Amino acid sequence: MVSTQKEALATSEQPHAAYRATQFILQSGLLIAVILLFIVLSIIAPNFLSERNILNILRAVAFNGIIACGMTFVIISGDIDVSVGSAIAWSSSLLGVLAIKNGWNLEVAIVFVLIQGILIHLAASYIRVRWNVPAFVVTLALFISLRGAARLITNAYPVTPFPDYFSFIGGGFILEGIPFLSRGIPVPVVIMLTTFAIFYFISIRTVFGRSVYSVGGNEEAARLSGIPVWRTRMTIFAITGFLAALCGVLISSRIMSGASNIAEGLEFEVIAAVIIGGTSLSGGQGSIIGTFLGVIFIGLLGNGMVLLGIQSFVQEIIRGFIILFAVLISIWQNSLQKRVGAVAEAKT
Amino acid sequence: MTPILKLEHVSKIYPGVVALDDVDFSLDAGEVRGLLGKNGAGKSTLIKILSGAVIPDSGTITVDDQPVVMHSTRDAFHHGIYTVYQEMSLVPALSVAENITLGRWQKKNLFGFIPTIDYGAVRRIAQSALDELEVKLDLDTPVSRLSIAQQQTVEIAKALSFNPRVFVLDEPTSSLADHEVQALHRIVRRLAEQGRAIIYVTHRLQEIPHIAHTVTVLRDGKSVGTIAVKEATSERIANMMIGFDWQRVHRERSTSTQDVKLAVRNLSRAGVLHDISFEVRGGEVLGIAGLLGSGRTELLRAIFGLDPIDSGTVIVNGHEVTHPTPALMKINGMGLTPEDRKRQGLILSSSVQRNMTMASLDRVSEYGLLRLTNEKNLVQKMVDLISIKTPSVSVKVGTLSGGNQQKVVIGNWLNNQPSVLMMDEPTRGIDIQAKEQIFELMRSLAKQGLAVLFVSSEIEEVLDVCDRILIMKDGRIIGETLPSEVNLEQLLSRVMAEETHG
Repeated sequence: MVSTQKEALATSEQPHAAYRATQFILQSGLLIAVILLFIVLSIIAPNFLSERNILNILRAVAFNGIIACGMTFVIISGDIDVSVGSAIAWSSSLLGVLAIKNGWNLEVAIVFVLIQGILIHLAASYIRVRWNVPAFVVTLALFISLRGAARLITNAYPVTPFPDYFSFIGGGFILEGIPFLSRGIPVPVVIMLTTFAIFYFISIRTVFGRSVYSVGGNEEAARLSGIPVWRTRMTIFAITGFLAALCGVLISSRIMSGASNIAEGLEFEVIAAVIIGGTSLSGGQGSIIGTFLGVIFIGLLGNGMVLLGIQSFVQEIIRGFIILFAVLISIWQNSLQKRVGAVAEAKT
Repeated sequence: MTPILKLEHVSKIYPGVVALDDVDFSLDAGEVRGLLGKNGAGKSTLIKILSGAVIPDSGTITVDDQPVVMHSTRDAFHHGIYTVYQEMSLVPALSVAENITLGRWQKKNLFGFIPTIDYGAVRRIAQSALDELEVKLDLDTPVSRLSIAQQQTVEIAKALSFNPRVFVLDEPTSSLADHEVQALHRIVRRLAEQGRAIIYVTHRLQEIPHIAHTVTVLRDGKSVGTIAVKEATSERIANMMIGFDWQRVHRERSTSTQDVKLAVRNLSRAGVLHDISFEVRGGEVLGIAGLLGSGRTELLRAIFGLDPIDSGTVIVNGHEVTHPTPALMKINGMGLTPEDRKRQGLILSSSVQRNMTMASLDRVSEYGLLRLTNEKNLVQKMVDLISIKTPSVSVKVGTLSGGNQQKVVIGNWLNNQPSVLMMDEPTRGIDIQAKEQIFELMRSLAKQGLAVLFVSSEIEEVLDVCDRILIMKDGRIIGETLPSEVNLEQLLSRVMAEETHG
């Protein structure tokens, strides 16, 4: 009896090792793709490796990256949020109107904008959980109406001018004179990296992060285990609302105006990055690191296509197919993992 | 008279299970046959064979002396056998008339070239089917607005338009109220009078004398026998269903004199639970014996705050709770392992470790920060303690066997050190060895002072492990007994046959 158990354990080690090896290769796939893309672009795209271009890429991914952190939690929890682009535009417009047209103190206006970002998303998520309305519908409503509200309060014209010092958080640099990037690192990039670090920590090491995965993996099981499902979902949305408002402020600083026409289509670029990063739309699975790679991948791809002189409409077509392809890969990956898992089970 | 339907030596084997073993079965025109048996006795396999959903491995089926082979439900219709399942195959948004004629709508061409549905013809066909059953239903009402009983009538009317010789009704009364049962029985008698044969599957023994002419009992995939309904007393049927081979396992039991850990007072939920009161003491395993639909699962769910209650209180460890929620009951020291582990108990795509601390995140964290090493140690200890067979705690729980998955669900709660543990069908779909381990675990938990509340559809399991048994029926507790006072036949017949109001 003891010996058969030992045998069972011994044979089970093998598929488990194979399982882990497969997992590693599958999970590193995106990292490999990012590295390959970088190398290929360095060779074939003119000026790709120039300081100016690298800065462009970093800046381009910064805002998407910040939002993508929140979006990853939203999608892991089994929800979706298509309102973030409009929320950014609304926050930017509101900041402009309050600080410039209404003459509020800039710092006070920023704090106000951040808080309203949280509150609007909290209200939306309350509707989501209280009446079990699909998150897509609630955020679709916000997507449409926040953009309208932004245009309404600005008459669809940019609101200017902000005081000069405001440009630092969206357009400034720190660590000037470091090797290669002589102008330093753009502040939004620093904020993005900080956001990723914080979200990585939350996702791995906190009760809240674990709850996000549980709620998305099996809401019923989470509820039965006494995990506060409503509170978890509402917190996720509050965070996303905050990040959208933050991006609104940062972009306002970058373009030095409050504008209602910014971040159009950003929500889908962010969702695409999260999906490419391996987060499953059905919830319960995903990682912040994957999202980081997804954001970088999309940034590199967009930049590379511009440098290679690909016509912009063609770029859109290519982007669309890349998203489809990424999802297909993750589906194949899942079925492959199941097969490996089944082998492991059969042998135990 | 030659029988309409005849099954000879029919067998069906699934990996590891003989679902049907050399079953003979024959049915005459105008006959209503009650088909009885416990869960897993082979009823559903027999039904699936008759409906064409499952092909038997051996044996022959003859309809009107013609041997038939059925590969699909369509084949079964074609040979005159129609099965009405519990889950009905109606389209909720469509009307009664559209549902009755579903898939066979008459067409006519508008302006000679635009194909449209000929509603006149559709309504005529539907009306004649309803007339044949002598029931009145509005043809234009969407099915979603009908009661379950009315939907069943629509389903039967739909079947009638195929003009079947044999009707198979699978638990048709399981969700019907008394007066609706009467109406259904009228329809069944009407069908029999028309010379059709009916196979009537039911758990409710008391309706057998009212509706069936004969009764066939299945047990462990075999046909135990067919008897006339007047010989079919509930004692005799219980006897046939169980057989004589069941032996009660000797286990250490106790009459606990410890404190009451859980007290339920006058708990009611409209239409589901009626004025339920009982107590469980520490060190005691209390079983709830009841059939599917008796309210046993609903009772556990209500106590744990998964479904709202209309009145009554739950007292856990001295804390009185009038509005239970899972989070609140957890804080008060209670746990619930749900009946459907895959849908309600586990995150299949997540690791064993994560699944085993879902209910005890507070115990493996400080200020909201997880202590991952503590977590792993805690889980590893529990895995060893209740002997979960897994390559490691980081594998996905979905890759484990059913028994080990169930242990993960139990371990998830034990990690939170509850003093009251409610277990709903913990042995469903797991092998005998794992079952035995879970029973032993329940006994040892009780020995450590836990109050255990155990629900199982397998009556002998309840008799096997419990110190005390409540009998539940139609949302009420209709009796209480000690395992030493009853044998299995008596308990089973009380669970099945006893009238609600004495």
